[in-house]
Amino acid sequence: MTVTAGIGYALIALGPSLSLFVSVISKKPFLILTVLSSTLLWLISLIVLSGVWRAFLPLKTTAWWPYAILIITSIGFQEGLRFLFWKVYKRLEDILDAFADRVSKPRLFLTDKMQIALAGGLGHGSAHAVFFCLSLLTPAFGRATFFVDRCSQIPFFLISALIALAFVTIHTFSMVIAFNGYAEGNKVDQLFVPVVHMVAGMVTLINLASGGCVIGIPLLYFLAVLTLMHCGKMVWRRLTETQSRERSS
Amino acid sequence: MDSSILDSLGVEIIGVMSPVSVCMLLVVLLVYSLSSATSSAASGTIRTAANLVYLESPSDSATQKLEGALLNALVFIVLISIVTFVLVLLYYYNFTNFLKNYMRFSAFFVLGTMGGSIFLSVIQHFSVPIDSITCFLLLFNFTVVGVLSVFSNGVPIFVRQAYMVVLGIIVAAWFTKLPEWTTWVLLVALAVYDLVAVLAPGGPLKLLVELASSRDEELPALVYEARPVVSRGPGTRGSNLGLLVGGVSEAGNVELQAVSQDNRNKSDEEVGNLANEEGETSPLMPNLRGRPTSSSGSSEYSVVDVRLDRGAQFGNGESEIVVDEEMSPLVDMLEFGGDREQTRGEIPEASTGTSRGIKLGLGDFVFYSVLVGRAAMYDLMTVYACYLAIISGLGCTLILLSVCHRALPALPISITLGVVFYFLTRLLMEPFVVGTSSNLMMF
Repeated sequence: MTVTAGIGYALIALGPSLSLFVSVISKKPFLILTVLSSTLLWLISLIVLSGVWRAFLPLKTTAWWPYAILIITSIGFQEGLRFLFWKVYKRLEDILDAFADRVSKPRLFLTDKMQIALAGGLGHGSAHAVFFCLSLLTPAFGRATFFVDRCSQIPFFLISALIALAFVTIHTFSMVIAFNGYAEGNKVDQLFVPVVHMVAGMVTLINLASGGCVIGIPLLYFLAVLTLMHCGKMVWRRLTETQSRERSS
Repeated sequence: MDSSILDSLGVEIIGVMSPVSVCMLLVVLLVYSLSSATSSAASGTIRTAANLVYLESPSDSATQKLEGALLNALVFIVLISIVTFVLVLLYYYNFTNFLKNYMRFSAFFVLGTMGGSIFLSVIQHFSVPIDSITCFLLLFNFTVVGVLSVFSNGVPIFVRQAYMVVLGIIVAAWFTKLPEWTTWVLLVALAVYDLVAVLAPGGPLKLLVELASSRDEELPALVYEARPVVSRGPGTRGSNLGLLVGGVSEAGNVELQAVSQDNRNKSDEEVGNLANEEGETSPLMPNLRGRPTSSSGSSEYSVVDVRLDRGAQFGNGESEIVVDEEMSPLVDMLEFGGDREQTRGEIPEASTGTSRGIKLGLGDFVFYSVLVGRAAMYDLMTVYACYLAIISGLGCTLILLSVCHRALPALPISITLGVVFYFLTRLLMEPFVVGTSSNLMMF
C-alpha cells in the first residue's frame, strides 16, 4: 500500500502533464529542450526568491499577511520572468525562422509556436509540481500518512497533490495564453495570466484558516478550469482564423 | 504539407541527454532502495582508491573532514593522472590490442564482481526467490555479453549503448558509498582535472586525443556513442546544433563541408590500410557482421565498414548535412585499475570525423550519476535541482562543442552547476519550500 500510495499521489499531481509530455512533447526533441530550460528557469526563480526570503523564514507568526506578501512578491517576480522568457523566445523564433529559410523549409507554423509555448508552460508547471509536491512526497512512500491540523479531513499528501495538479494546469496553459497575448498584442490575455496566477496564489491563503481547504481547493479548481477553457477558446479561434485565411488566399 | 523544422531540431542533444538521464534515474532509484536497507552499517568500512588517506567518520570536526577530503581527492587525482599517462604511453607505442583487451577485462571485472554484488544486494533487499545456480548463470551470461559488446561492432549499437549505461550505473553506485565530504571534494577536483587534462597543452587527455586523431583510429576506450539507433532519413539533422547557437555554422559551412569530405576520403583509404594491417582477419570479412567472437581485428574492420556505408549514404542524400560529422566528438574514457577497487581516468577526446554522432565518455556518466546519487541521499528536491543543473551544463557543453569544434571536457560546467545548485537548494530553497508548502501555500 505504501509505495502504491506514493506513486498514486505523484501521478495525481503529474499524471496529466506526463501524458501531455508523452503524447505531444517527447516526439520533438526541441520541445523537450524547451521543457528542460523552462524548468531550469523556474528553479532559478525559486532559488532567487528563497534567497531573498531566507532571512525571514521560518515565519513564526500565524498571521496571514506575511504569507500574503511572500506570495505577492513571488508571483510578481515570476510574472516578470515570464515576460523575459517571452523575449528570449521571440529571439529564438527569429533564429528558427531564419534557419528554416536557409534550409528551404516552411517557417514555424502556428501550431509549432503554440507547442513551444505549451512546452514552456509544461516546464513551469512540472517544476512547480516537482518542487512543491513531489519533493515532499518522500515520507508518503513509507508507512503511515500525515495530516495537518488546519485540514484534518484529507491526508496532507493528497491535498498537496491536488493543489499541485491545479497549479500545473494553470501554469501550463497560461503560458500558451500569455505567449499568444504577447504575439497578438492582446491586452486582455496579457493581463489575464498574471491576474489568474495572483488570484490562485491568494486562494491558497484560505488554507491557513482551519478547515479552509474545503473552500480553497474548489476555488482553485475553478480557476484552473477557467484557464483551461480560456486557452481552449483562444486556440480554437486562432486555428479557425488561420484556416479561413489560408482558404481565402 | 512539409514537415516543420521543429521535428528534427536538437536530436543530437537529446540523443546524449536521454542516456545520461536514464543512468542518473537508475542510480537514484538504486541508491534510494538500497540505502534504506544498509544505512550506515557498511558505509564506513570500505576503503578504495578514492579514500586512501583519510577515512571520514561522522564525529570528526569540519576542518578535519575538509583536510582529509582534500588529501583524498589529491591522491585520487594523482593516481588518475599516472594511469592516464601510462595509457598514453601504451597507446603511443601502439599497444592498442593490449589496451582493448584490458578494457574488456575491466568491463568483465566491473560487470561481474561489482555488478554482481549490487545484483545480490538488490535480490536480498527485495527478497527475490532465486537459487544460486540460476543467479550465477544469469550473471555470467550478462557479463559475457557485456564484455563482447564493448568493442566489437557485430553487436547492435543499442545493446552496446545499454551496456555502457549499465557500466556507468554500477560504477556510480559504488562511488556513492564514499563518505560525503570526500565525494564533494572529489567531484570538484575531478572537474578541475578534466579541464586541465583536456585543454591545457600537454594534458594527457589532449595528447591522447591528438594521437588518436592523427592516426584516425577509434580510441580504445569505454565511450558512449550517441549514434542514432535507427538511421533517420535525410533531413535537417546536420546543422541542428549549430543552429541552436544562433546560426554560427553559417559562415563555417563551406569549410566544414570540405573537411568532412576530406575525412570521408581518408577513411576510404583507411579501409585498405586497415585491411592490410589486420591481414589475418581479412579472409573472414564477408561474414563478419554479427560474429560474436571478436578478435579486435575483425571489429576494427567492421568499424570502418559501417562508417563507410554511412558515409556513402550520407554523401548521396544531402549536401546540407555537414556539421555533425564535424562536431568533434566528445570522448571520455574510463579505465579501472586492476585489483584495487577502481582507479579511473577519463579521456575526453576528439577524433574529428572518424565517426558521426557525439561521444560521451563513461567517466562523465559516472560522475554525473555520483553527484545525483549523493544528492539523493539528502532529499528528492536536491535530486531534481542537481539533475536540472547537470543536464543544462551538458547542454551548454554541447553548444560550446558546436562552436569550438574540438574535444571539450564534459565535467567542469555540469559539475560546477550541480554542486552550486545542490548547496543552494539545500541551504536556501528547502526551508522556503517546506515552509510554504507545509502550510499548504503554493504559487
